[in-house]
Amino acid sequence: MDIPGFISTILWPIKWVVEGLLVLFHTILSGLGMEPAEGLTWVLSIVGMVLVIRAALIPIFVKQIKSQRKMLEVAPQLKKIQDKYKGKKDQFSREAMSRETMELYKKTGTNPLSSCLPLLLQMPIFFSLFSVLNDAQKGTAGVFWLNSDLALQFGNAKLFGVAPLHESFQQATVTGDVAVMIIAVVMVILMTGSQFITQLQIMSRNQSPEAKNSPMFKQQRILLYILPLVFAFSGFSFPLGVMFYWLTSNFWTMGQQFLVIRNMPTPGSEAAKAREARLAKKGKLNVVAAADGTVNHVILEAPKTTQRQQPVGKTRAKKQGEKK
Amino acid sequence: MTAVAPPALLPIIRTLVIGAYLLPRNIAVLLLRTYRAVISPLYGDVCRYYPSCSSYTLQAIQQRGLFVGTALGAYRLVRCNPWAAGGIDDVPPLRRQHFRVTRFGFVVASSQGKG
Repeated sequence: MDIPGFISTILWPIKWVVEGLLVLFHTILSGLGMEPAEGLTWVLSIVGMVLVIRAALIPIFVKQIKSQRKMLEVAPQLKKIQDKYKGKKDQFSREAMSRETMELYKKTGTNPLSSCLPLLLQMPIFFSLFSVLNDAQKGTAGVFWLNSDLALQFGNAKLFGVAPLHESFQQATVTGDVAVMIIAVVMVILMTGSQFITQLQIMSRNQSPEAKNSPMFKQQRILLYILPLVFAFSGFSFPLGVMFYWLTSNFWTMGQQFLVIRNMPTPGSEAAKAREARLAKKGKLNVVAAADGTVNHVILEAPKTTQRQQPVGKTRAKKQGEKK
Repeated sequence: MTAVAPPALLPIIRTLVIGAYLLPRNIAVLLLRTYRAVISPLYGDVCRYYPSCSSYTLQAIQQRGLFVGTALGAYRLVRCNPWAAGGIDDVPPLRRQHFRVTRFGFVVASSQGKG
């Protein structure tokens, strides 16, 4: 794959970091006594690289979740906007609604959206890993850390001593490498499965009823079933090494998504209701019926303290009880 | 022999010239529409602005042409990051709209009835 010069200049710093991490993990693992040219060593290096990169992206994720929490505060205002446009499904009403919602986010500093930067950041990583593996057979060096010897070693490293990391399923059909085929198929299945679960989790459990009624959602629903197929087919043409990056990344996303949906769901979604039910069971949720008949759920967060609760006198205990 | 087009041909020539002038941005419109229909839904709504980056770029290219529009879109992409406040951010409006936009999003001469 040839990336135009202009883009590869932009990608250079990211490639530098990706390669650095890859070589670093490879050096550490070799130092720990693993065979440097072994496929497993390189695969674990890829896994290590993914873990570091994804961990580095956590702060962005946490920031996003924090503002999602703050959303609870603006929920009444948000509901007002949603009520105003209830039942209005024409394009102009939808647009006006989006505008007012965005304005509210900005005013209150509660923008729950992350921008596409975290997504864009993944692409150069994918590209550089792909080009490294692709060029490895020719012994083409990377941008800085990966010299031609290492690149060659990486590309020719064989997993379990039989499956070269640079080979894709497609190539394996030519070379007749059954091991590559089996590993590729297993990975495609795992990848597709994890992708499907992640998407399904978000769509079926973590979206507000308003979002579910939008045409965008219906489009997403169709794609939910088409996408895994697309991934499965494209997965066959990627080298094994790239697939390991993809797989690790997918698993991380799935786990992260699960934790977030469980603990910080989108207000109004099914996951949020499930969480309220869980909390109510534990007695941490107060259901307050407002005067207008709507039911407000107030989540009582027990402040986490390591301090021992001081014993209090009868009269003071009564007072504290009233506060609750 | 000087090439003077007969009056009946003038509207056709005008359409062709304007069509050629608008071709680059219409190709970009087609690409962006494809992106918005196929790739965008994969990750849902993530943009911190309204209109979203791709919608902003689409409008910018429709109004300002391929080069200025792409530059505006690129600048927006840079501004759209986790640290930005977000909010409403429309394409800076032109004083006069010279062309008409069809329902699909193609830019055509304003007198044409196509669409």
